[in-house]
Amino acid sequence: MGIIIASTLSANPASAAPTAYPLTLNNCGVDVTFEKAPERAIALGQNSAEIMLLLGLENHMAGTAFWPSRVLPELAKANEQVKLLSVESPSLEAILTERPDFVAAQLLNLLGPESKIAKREDFANLGIPSYVSPGVCATNHDSGDVHGARTDLWNMDLLYQEITELSQIFDVADRGQQVIADFKAREAALRQRVSGESQDLSIVFWFSSPSPADDAYLGGKNGASGFIADLLGGHNVMQTDVEWPTVSWEGIIATNPGVIVIAELDRNRWELDKPEAKIAFLKSDPAVSQLEAVKNGYIVTMDGQAMNPTIRTIYGAEQVADQLEELGLFK
Amino acid sequence: MTALRQAVREQAGPGLLLLLSTVLLLLAVGAGTGIGEMAIPIDTTFFAVTNRLGWSAVDLDPIHQSVIWDYRLSRSLVAACCGAGLALCGAILQSLLRNALAEPYVLGVSAGASTGAVGIIVLGLGAGSITISAGAFVGAFASFAFVALLSNGARGGAGKTILAGVAASQLFNALTSYIVSTSANAQQARDVMFWLLGSFGGVRWSEFQLILVVVIIGFCVCIYFARALDAFAFGDDAAASLGIPVRTVRIVLFGVTALMTATIVSMVGSIGFVGLVVPHAARFIVGPSHERLLPTCVVGGGIFMVLADIVSRVVLPQQVLPIGVVTALVGVPFFSVILYRTERAR
Repeated sequence: MGIIIASTLSANPASAAPTAYPLTLNNCGVDVTFEKAPERAIALGQNSAEIMLLLGLENHMAGTAFWPSRVLPELAKANEQVKLLSVESPSLEAILTERPDFVAAQLLNLLGPESKIAKREDFANLGIPSYVSPGVCATNHDSGDVHGARTDLWNMDLLYQEITELSQIFDVADRGQQVIADFKAREAALRQRVSGESQDLSIVFWFSSPSPADDAYLGGKNGASGFIADLLGGHNVMQTDVEWPTVSWEGIIATNPGVIVIAELDRNRWELDKPEAKIAFLKSDPAVSQLEAVKNGYIVTMDGQAMNPTIRTIYGAEQVADQLEELGLFK
Repeated sequence: MTALRQAVREQAGPGLLLLLSTVLLLLAVGAGTGIGEMAIPIDTTFFAVTNRLGWSAVDLDPIHQSVIWDYRLSRSLVAACCGAGLALCGAILQSLLRNALAEPYVLGVSAGASTGAVGIIVLGLGAGSITISAGAFVGAFASFAFVALLSNGARGGAGKTILAGVAASQLFNALTSYIVSTSANAQQARDVMFWLLGSFGGVRWSEFQLILVVVIIGFCVCIYFARALDAFAFGDDAAASLGIPVRTVRIVLFGVTALMTATIVSMVGSIGFVGLVVPHAARFIVGPSHERLLPTCVVGGGIFMVLADIVSRVVLPQQVLPIGVVTALVGVPFFSVILYRTERAR
C-alpha cells in the first residue's frame, strides 16, 4: 500500500500537498475518516464515476452504477476496466459483494436517509467511508427537494469542491488541481470568446417532450442550462426558479427565443428524445415554425447530460459555443 | 387439495394448524435470510444470526455478518409483518363490507399516502424536516378521514363505504397527478413511480420494531372481534339482532385497518394483491370462521410476502424488482390455481 502511494508520488512531482492519512473530511454534515487511499471504490451515479475516471482512478475502482447516458468518450477506455454493477440502481448486496473500501454517490436517492438502496450508516457500520456530492446536499438544504430548486444561479464551485475532496481522499491532489485548472481555463476561454461584442442571446434549452402534443420539458434559469447561457453571454428565456420547468409551446413562443438548444439524449423513452425528431417538430409545427430562431435556423444540439449540473455541463457549453460560432452568432 | 381442506377443517385443531404454519413462516424467513445475491455459505448465515443473538461467538467476515443480520433478516421480518398486516386488513374489509373484491386500499389509504409522499418528494413540503414516510402516513389518514366523513354523512352501509373509498382514491390520485404533472422533473417522476410500486430496500431494524407493534395490536383487536365478524356475514341487521354493537365494531375495525395499512404503505409503498388474495386462499383452506381465518391470513400473508421478496431480490442480477410487480406476477398464477380448484371442488 505504502509502496503504491510512494510510486504515484514520485511519478508525479507534487505541486499540491500529498494527503496526510488519516484524513478526516466533513461531507454533508457527516465526518468521514480515511486511513489510506481507497483501493476498491464504488461510484454510484455517472458524475461521481466520471470524476474518478478524470482523476485517473480506474485502478482504484471496484464498480460503478446508475448511468443515465453514455460515458464521456475520452474516458471510455478507462471505464472499460471498471466493473459496471448496473446501469440503473444497484442493490446493496451487489455493492457489498465488491467489498468496497469507499462509496461515493451523486444523488441522495442512491445514498441517503430515504434511499431504497443504501444509507450512509449501512457502510459506516462496516467501517466503509462514504461520500455524497456536495452539490446535492446544498440543494437539499435550501429547498428540501432532493433534485433541487435553486434560488441562485448554479456554478462550478461545488463541483470543484467535489473534485478537490475526491482527489484528497485518493491522494491524487495534483491531478485534482490539474482537472480543476483545466475546467477553469475552459470556462475562462468560453467567456473570452463571447466577451468581444455581447449581444445577450436569449436561449431556450429544450430537454425533451413525451410527444409533440405535450408540453416541453426545459432547462431552468438557475440550473446548469442557466449557467451555460450565462457563460455564453446570454440568458435563459425561462425565468422561473424551477430547475426543470414544463412549458407549453405557446408559452415558449411568447418568450421569442433567439436560439433554441435541443438536447441529444442516449435514451429513447419519449417520442421527442432524439434531436432529429425535435428538429422535425420545430420545422413542421405551424406555430412553432414561425419563430425567428426556427426561420433563421438558429437551432443547436447539445449533449442532454450537460443540462444536469455535472462535469458534462462545461462540455455542453463548448458544444453550443462552437455551433453558435459557426452560425455567426459570435463576432 | 380438497382432501387437505377437508382434513384441516374437520380434524386438525386450530392449535396444530397454527403450529404447522408458524413453522412454515419461520422456514420462509430462514430462506429469506439465506438466499440473496451475495453467495454466503449456510453455516455462515446460521452463525451470523446466532452471533447477534448472543448464542455463539464465531469469527465471521463482517460484511457477511452485516448482510445477513442488518439487511436480509430485518428485511425478511418486515416483509413478513407487512404481508401479515395486509392480508389481515383484506380479510377484515372483505367481511365488514361483504364484498369479495375489498382489499386494504379500498378505503383510499394508498392514494392518500401517495399524495403525501409526492408532496414531500416533489414539492419539498416541510423543507427536509419531514420524511417521505411521515408525509405518506399523514396523507393516508387524511384520505381515510375523508372516506369516514363521506360514508358516515351518507348514513353508513357497506356499499356507501366502498363508493366513498372509490371517490377518495380518485380525488387523491388526481391530486398526485396534478402535483407530478405541474412540478416534477423526470427524475422525480421516476422516484415517485418507484415509491408507489413498493420496495423493502429501505427497511432496517427500526422499521421492524414499529411494524411488529402495529401488526400485533391490529391482530389482537381483530381477533377480539372475530365472532362479531362471523355475524357480519349475515348482514348488519342479523349482527345487530345478535346483540353486536354494529356501528362501534365497524368504526373500531375500520380504524385499525386504516392504521395498519397507512403504516405499511408509508414504510414500503403500496404493495398490491396480497390483501386481496391471501384472505380468499385462507378461506379456502380453513373456512369462513374468523377465529381460524385471521391467524391463517397473518401467517399466510407473511409467508407469501417473504417469498415474493426473495424473488424480487434474486430474479434480476444486481438489481431489485419492485415488490408490487412480483406479488402480482407470482400471485396471479397461484390464485388462478385456487380459483380453478375451488370450482372443481364444488
